[in-house]
Amino acid sequence: MAWDLIFWVVCFFINIALLASSFYQLLSLSDLEADHLNPFEASTRINSIVLPEFLLQGFLCISFLLTWHWFMFLFTLPIAAYHLMLYLNQKHLLDVTEIFRDLNTEKKYRFIKLAVYLLLFTVVLFRLVITAFNSLHDEVDVHAF
Amino acid sequence: MILGDVCGKFLPFVGDLALKFTGVSFITFVNAHYCDITSPGRVSCERLPIHNIVIILNTMGTENPGRPNFPMRPSATPFASAPPTVRPFSSSGPVVGSESGNVRPAPPGAPPTMTPFSSGGPRPPARFSDPSVPFPPLTSVPPSGGPYQRFPTPPFPSAVQIPPARAPPVGQPPFQPPGSQVSVPPPSFRPQTQVPPVPMGSPPPHVNFPPSSANVPQPPSDSSFSGPRSNFQMASPLPDHSATKSSFQPPFPGYPGKQPAVSQAPSPFPAQQGSFMPPPAPPSPFASQQGSYAPPPPVAPNLGYQSRDQMQHPGSAPPTGSIQSLTEDFSSLSISSMPGSIEPGLDYRTLPRPLDGDLEPSSFLEMYPMNCDPRYLRLTTSAIPNSQSLVSRWHLPLGAVVCPLAEAPEGEEVPVINFASTGIIRCRRCRTYVNPYVTFTDAGRKWRCNICSLLNDVPGEYFANLDATGRRIDLDQRPELLKGSVEFVAPTEYMVRPPMPPLYFFLIDVSISAVRSGMIEVVAQTIRSCLDELPGFPRTQIGFITFDSTIHFYNMKSSLTQPQMMVVSDLDDVFVPLPDDLLVNLSESRNVVETFLDSLPSMFQDNVNVESAFGPALKAAFMVMSQLGGKLLIFQNTLPSLGYGRLKLRGDDLRVYGTDKEHTLRLPEDPFYKQMAADLTKYQIGVNIYAFSDKYTDIASLGTLAKYTGGQVYYYPSFQTNIHGEKLRRELARDLTRETAWEAVMRIRCGKGIRFTSYHGNFMLRSTDLLALPAVDCDKAYAMQLSLEETLLSTPTVYFQVALLYTASCGERRIRVHTAAAPVVTDLGEMYRQADTGAIVSLFCRLAIEKTLTSKLEEARNSLQQRIVKALREYRNLYAVQHRLGARMIYPESLKFLCLYGLALSKSVPLKGGYADAQLDERCAAGFTMMALPVKKLLKLLYPSLIRIDEYLLKPSAQADDFKNIMKRLPLLAESLDSRGLYLYDDGLRFVIWFGRMLSPDIARNLLGPEFAAELSRVTLTEHDNEMSRRLMKMLKRLRESDPSYYQLPYLVRQGEQPREGFLLLVNLLEDQMGGTVGYVDWIMQIHRQVQQNA
Repeated sequence: MAWDLIFWVVCFFINIALLASSFYQLLSLSDLEADHLNPFEASTRINSIVLPEFLLQGFLCISFLLTWHWFMFLFTLPIAAYHLMLYLNQKHLLDVTEIFRDLNTEKKYRFIKLAVYLLLFTVVLFRLVITAFNSLHDEVDVHAF
Repeated sequence: MILGDVCGKFLPFVGDLALKFTGVSFITFVNAHYCDITSPGRVSCERLPIHNIVIILNTMGTENPGRPNFPMRPSATPFASAPPTVRPFSSSGPVVGSESGNVRPAPPGAPPTMTPFSSGGPRPPARFSDPSVPFPPLTSVPPSGGPYQRFPTPPFPSAVQIPPARAPPVGQPPFQPPGSQVSVPPPSFRPQTQVPPVPMGSPPPHVNFPPSSANVPQPPSDSSFSGPRSNFQMASPLPDHSATKSSFQPPFPGYPGKQPAVSQAPSPFPAQQGSFMPPPAPPSPFASQQGSYAPPPPVAPNLGYQSRDQMQHPGSAPPTGSIQSLTEDFSSLSISSMPGSIEPGLDYRTLPRPLDGDLEPSSFLEMYPMNCDPRYLRLTTSAIPNSQSLVSRWHLPLGAVVCPLAEAPEGEEVPVINFASTGIIRCRRCRTYVNPYVTFTDAGRKWRCNICSLLNDVPGEYFANLDATGRRIDLDQRPELLKGSVEFVAPTEYMVRPPMPPLYFFLIDVSISAVRSGMIEVVAQTIRSCLDELPGFPRTQIGFITFDSTIHFYNMKSSLTQPQMMVVSDLDDVFVPLPDDLLVNLSESRNVVETFLDSLPSMFQDNVNVESAFGPALKAAFMVMSQLGGKLLIFQNTLPSLGYGRLKLRGDDLRVYGTDKEHTLRLPEDPFYKQMAADLTKYQIGVNIYAFSDKYTDIASLGTLAKYTGGQVYYYPSFQTNIHGEKLRRELARDLTRETAWEAVMRIRCGKGIRFTSYHGNFMLRSTDLLALPAVDCDKAYAMQLSLEETLLSTPTVYFQVALLYTASCGERRIRVHTAAAPVVTDLGEMYRQADTGAIVSLFCRLAIEKTLTSKLEEARNSLQQRIVKALREYRNLYAVQHRLGARMIYPESLKFLCLYGLALSKSVPLKGGYADAQLDERCAAGFTMMALPVKKLLKLLYPSLIRIDEYLLKPSAQADDFKNIMKRLPLLAESLDSRGLYLYDDGLRFVIWFGRMLSPDIARNLLGPEFAAELSRVTLTEHDNEMSRRLMKMLKRLRESDPSYYQLPYLVRQGEQPREGFLLLVNLLEDQMGGTVGYVDWIMQIHRQVQQNA
């Protein structure tokens, strides 16, 4: 039971990291749009965290699979597949020279991702609470006996 | 070999490097001695010293320590063997000098020589825009022009005879439309001679009209507009109009009878005459016109004459000015086929053609005389739609083409204004610069911004009282309040650093193929000859790097007598061996630079290195330049094969065409190039690529560097000095000496409610609406599209302001501001009427080329065609209700060339055909070029001029100077070529001179000299000692002067000489059907069919 709890706590933090990364990327893009950031800096910032995010997300997805959380796995699979596709086509990084042309699509893509991560976050949070409750409850039960 | 030599000043430096780069395993330092590097043991000191060579080798552990560098670098050998060629050096000095003497006068462009430039430049515009000019073909060639105009009459009878046959041989001469009649004298001469008597005898109807064309009261557009006008054929004859028709027919049997017809039915007149006019009562004029035009089907063919007949009326109509308001506002083509003939009922001779070149929209300037000249800013339509629904119905691009530094003719230079202490007057809120459209209020103490309508305070120093009419009393002394184009001297607030000096850096490939092509020699000579004219003396900076498999730096410190060469062979971790002195002040180091350029060709003449470390060399150049920025000229001959950015021979793969991966061929292969381009832009470095290879060099990747840094790509496939040398020489000289704006940024502002959303051209965006242009000059134009932000625009006028902030070569920071106003309209028809085909085509071109980077060529062409179709369909719907259009194709007068340019675009090099139609490199190079071309040059390239020149050459010299007269452009049809003639094809990038098979041998002999009968591919055109040859050369020279941005190399071809004739000329006759592509007539039919579907 303790392992389950640890697993969900790890997922929880990974999820928070993913949320933060998405949010940061969106923020950078909006800054770029509002001319608070130049394209060189914006693309460096975003590109530096794209791969870590992909890896983290992939790790999350695989760990769901390995722990037989089918529903969670299927839930994270589309994004993981999309990331993989982007990576294989070498399109995962922002193109600094055409950044303004792609700005809207990139923003939309990140908004969607943010929304999915948020949804994932609520589910993970829910599972975490349940697991925590169960394990505490179990412990209480154990003590009761 | 002398190792770790004594030269004191270098020791610390060498030590530094050794410390800094742990991998330094060896340092060779040869000082003031000639040293045969391939055999290290031999040092021949008695030979002349050439250079100091410092070879710094890094991480080359595997190398033979005794010959650290040289095994890798056979190029050192030539260098070592240079001394014998020291003579060549010095002897080449004078040679170069004299050569430069020849070259120098031709390519002006440095500030002092601005004048020749502008005097050369303006000529063609003048030719086009001067209303009196388009006509000369008619007026000044009385023998052919005169009879012609009266032509319509005689054909009538003949037409009646031919109707069903309509066979070209018979029909042709009479059918000549106004456009082509001018230009195809020989075939048409016969009919003419028969004809004149008739028209002479029938003066009444035409009385007014010859004068009209002679004194040219109408705007130039009229002349061209007679073209489409002649097509005014009615496809669906309406029975009830036969009466009118009959009333019209009398004219031809008894000409006088025509007059009554005219007076009786005045409506037909205006109908064809004023396509510009609004149609207050269109149906009625239209119907009557229809009637008059439409004879019963059997006689249909003679409509051509009738229509031409009527076409004259625009000229004669002015007296009937009162009826002008009754005019309709479109042109039309009859498309239906004639009964009894299989051929489509479209006479290709009557199709509109831009034979007068590009006509800048004039109505715009008339409406707002304070606008900047159209050469700087052209809107795709000078009537801005007021609502989004209107925008969505206008299917053409809505935007502008800006050429901020266009060359102005003499006397029209942009005034420079220095506000000094006042500071530049700008709107507080929207940062608009003060311009002629701002209004002063409150007794001159406030001014209202015309773009955001904010009230601003007038600074004390700028204050002036207003007179009774509200004008400032000092208006006459304020060019910024009078002219649409001004230049402000920018104070220090506009600088992030002191203005940079003009900086030219050369990155020259010296691998074996470069040496063999002879490119290095031409480049070195040209640079040397241009040293005097580089802009910005005495601040100009200059530097060189050469590369093959290693990178060679040159220390040009002014205290040296000879440049020192340093070789870096570590390609994985490029470093700059000297902190300074690689970039030197030209005026201080002039001697060293000259010595270097003199010796450069011979230094590498025995180089056998086949590799190219382009990427590392580029990085090195970037590191040297990053302090200052400037212009980087890259001479590239071999596919980059070492270090970063190495490219594969991915080549032009036939199998990829037509698949989804097709477009990747046109994209840079390695992200290195995009990243590098971004870095270069960031540090204000503009790149120009000169590519020479005879093999695939991946222009798609290399050109990316130029694309994002505001540069351009010059491509000389299979460069050979004796053929292309002159072209390279002129174009490089032009590149070096034209006035350049450094570290520039450009922004275009527009009024509330509209916004520029996308930008197209060679540059990189610094922020959403700021174009970063590290180096920009007069030959670059940028296009942008705008969209409406609000659903409804309430203002009656929209203002646009282009501001280019740059450092002039003289070291002054300046802002060039172009302001223009355009009315807001609520009527789609008005938008079409005010459309500017040139700007539209320019935008279309850029959009289509961009599309080829993300999809197949075919899709790019289709989307282009679709947009044209949609626009014409929308236009048709606009009038279909009022008029019975039948099978006619209608289009606005302003867009009469749109279809033709659309066809030309889809047949242009970047877009045409598929795999076999153009080599990939050529395609990409042309794409990069066309993305930067100003409107006029683009249109010239799309619809090149074809001129018959043998008559001009044969004419006695007295008349021969009348240059304009011979510039009669012919339609680009194989039929325009007469086998007895000599023709010149000029697309602005090259000349093709076509010798007809039956051309008199005298002409050929005179022009080509003794080898006139030889294979023309081996003959070069040189001046021979006879009048004809001199005249031809003079003519070519004048044509080149009219547009100095590219040097047109003459290609000679003889009729029937295959396959050269095919790819040089025939494939460019774009109105013809050629190998699977459609001709003009079919194209029109196609478009028309599509327009009518779901119409």
